[in-house]
Order: sequence, then C-alpha cells, then structure tokens
Amino acid sequence: MPVLETVFFFVFALGAVVASSAVVFFRNPLYSAIALIGGFFCFAGLFVLLSAHFMAVVQVLVYGGAIMVLFVFIIMLLNLREEEIGATQHRFHHVLAVAVGIVFFAFTAMATSGLFDHAQIAERRAAAASQQEAADAAAPEGERGATVAIRTPSRVPGLYADLNEAGLEDQYARQVAALRDGTDNPAARKYRLHDANKKFEAPPLLQGKHARGGDMEEPVSWGTVEPISLLLVNRFVVPFELTALLLLAAIVGAVIIAKKRL
Amino acid sequence: MTALPLVPTLEHYLLVASLTFAIGLVGVLIKRNAISLFMCIEIMLNSVNLVFIAFSKYRVDFDGHVFAFFVMAVAAAEAAVGLAIIIHIFRHYRSVNVDEASELRL
Repeated sequence: MPVLETVFFFVFALGAVVASSAVVFFRNPLYSAIALIGGFFCFAGLFVLLSAHFMAVVQVLVYGGAIMVLFVFIIMLLNLREEEIGATQHRFHHVLAVAVGIVFFAFTAMATSGLFDHAQIAERRAAAASQQEAADAAAPEGERGATVAIRTPSRVPGLYADLNEAGLEDQYARQVAALRDGTDNPAARKYRLHDANKKFEAPPLLQGKHARGGDMEEPVSWGTVEPISLLLVNRFVVPFELTALLLLAAIVGAVIIAKKRL
Repeated sequence: MTALPLVPTLEHYLLVASLTFAIGLVGVLIKRNAISLFMCIEIMLNSVNLVFIAFSKYRVDFDGHVFAFFVMAVAAAEAAVGLAIIIHIFRHYRSVNVDEASELRL
C-alpha cells in the first residue's frame, strides 16, 4: 500500500525531526532524554520502512533501551541544579551555530538532489501504475493487488533512486540467484585490488546448502536476521570480533574511570 | 489509480537524515552541558545510521546494515565510557559544564 507508506514516512520523519529539535531546545537534560527516546523510536520506524527489520529491533533494544537507561540513570544520579547545568551562552553564539547547521543542510541537500532524475522517477512510476492497472484487470478477483516491481536507477551505477518492496525483493532474489549459479563473481567486484580473477566461493548458507551437504529451502529474505548474520560471520568476522574486544575495553574503562578508588 | 507523487525515495531518506544531522550539529555547538552534548552526538550517529540503511536498501546490499550495526556497538561503548567520564568531571568540578573542564590536569 503506497498510501500507507507515504503516511508513515511523513509521521516518522516529522517525529524524528521534531524530537531531535526538542533535544536541542530543552535546557533540562531529563526533558532532552525523554525527547530523544521518542526520536529513537521514530528512527526505528524509518528503518522498518526501509525493510531493515532487524536493525529496527536492535535500534529499539540498544538505543531506546540500553543507552537511554544509562543516560536517564546518570541524569538522576547527578540530579543537577540550575547553576550546575551551566550558564546560557551569548545570543551571537546561538545564531552562529544555527547558521552553521543551515549551511550544512544546504550543502547536503544540494549534493543529494544532483543524484536523481525526477522526471525519470515520475515516468517509471506512471508506467508501473498503468501496468498494475492492466495486471489487476486481467487477474481473477482474489489475486488482485500484487504490486508491480519498480526499479528506477539513479545517476550512480548500482544505486537505485526509486525502489518499492516488490522491486527490492525481486532484485535481491536475482542477486542471490546469480551468486548461486556463479554468473556473479563478487571477488571481481569488491576485492578488485587483490585478485580479480579469483573465483569467489559463496558461503554454503548463501548458496542454499547445509554445511554437511544437501539443499535447504529458500534461505534468504531481505532485512531479517539471517542475511545480516551471514555477513557478520563471514566477510565481517574480524570487525565483529574486534567489537567484542571494544565492548570489553569499554566496560573495564568505565569501571576504572567512575570508581572513586580501586 | 495514478502514481502518488510522494512515495518516499532514497532522496527523502537522505534529506531527513541530513536535517537531523544538522540539528544534532547545532546542538553540539550550542549545548554546554556535557550530558546534553552526548545526546546530540547520539542524534548525529543515528542519522548516519539512517543514511547507511537507506543506501543499503537502494543498492540492494547488506553492507550498510552491518555498518549500522557496528556504529551502534561503538555508540554503546562510547556512551558507557563517556558517562563515566562525566561522573568523574562532576565529582571534581561540581558541574557538568564542559567550559569549566578546560584543563587536562585534575
């Protein structure tokens, strides 16, 4: 349902912007923290709209849960009075900061708007809509409403400007299929500096095979735990292990810094 | 049924992310309270995550998800250590104003 997608996008986008502004606007850190929790939930909603279901859940658990509890806990622990929060700065400083923000936003907006061909997006959408209408008219009563895939390329190769859910699943299925039958060789694409001719061996799970042999049914779907975990324990296994080390160092460091005497 | 003019595309997500990043940047520049400063940094990290995940979808590739995952892990570590430092600063200066903690020695 494209209408609902639009509505939810605007609700969550507006929520994220308003909550972020509220964090900056409030002087009391506790109010800021409450606004920030709302903002994190809005970001999680945007992640769901981007079909990143796993990341949305992690966002709520890690940011909305763990990190915000830490923040609120510290705010309550310190229980700051007005004079401990610190004096407000000169008006000039505020104006300057807002100007920097506006200039930053203007530059990024300019940079993004160059990426896309709006006429082409509108054209592809109109084509998909008429195709959809024809498909619905031809289909029997019960099978109407299956969405026609939209895939509009942007000016950057490999990057799409417009992609609906059907187009995303379609494209991903194609990529996985190409990886399985060997027509796509990521080694040539991603590790060009090392050895372009070396054949990339897709991990068995991505090939749809059990480690001990035998095929399993369709193993991949977009944005869920499975494909992300496959990447984490294959190509990104070293950074993944380093993250464990980082968290351990952070725990030890936090205890040593915050403790009065060891 | 005609095509809606405003179904979100990659551009919309990038604009939202850059707007929230700019808001976080303004917050970092304005705020003098170390805790609020940290929260503004979290907003900036979150909008970067949004960019990663948006590009990940529109490239049909999971690398962005993995990067966002690492950003979250680093943000958690940073929050833990940073808040410990804030507690330490508060014990020493009786204030969380970052302007007062301008010397490296204790």
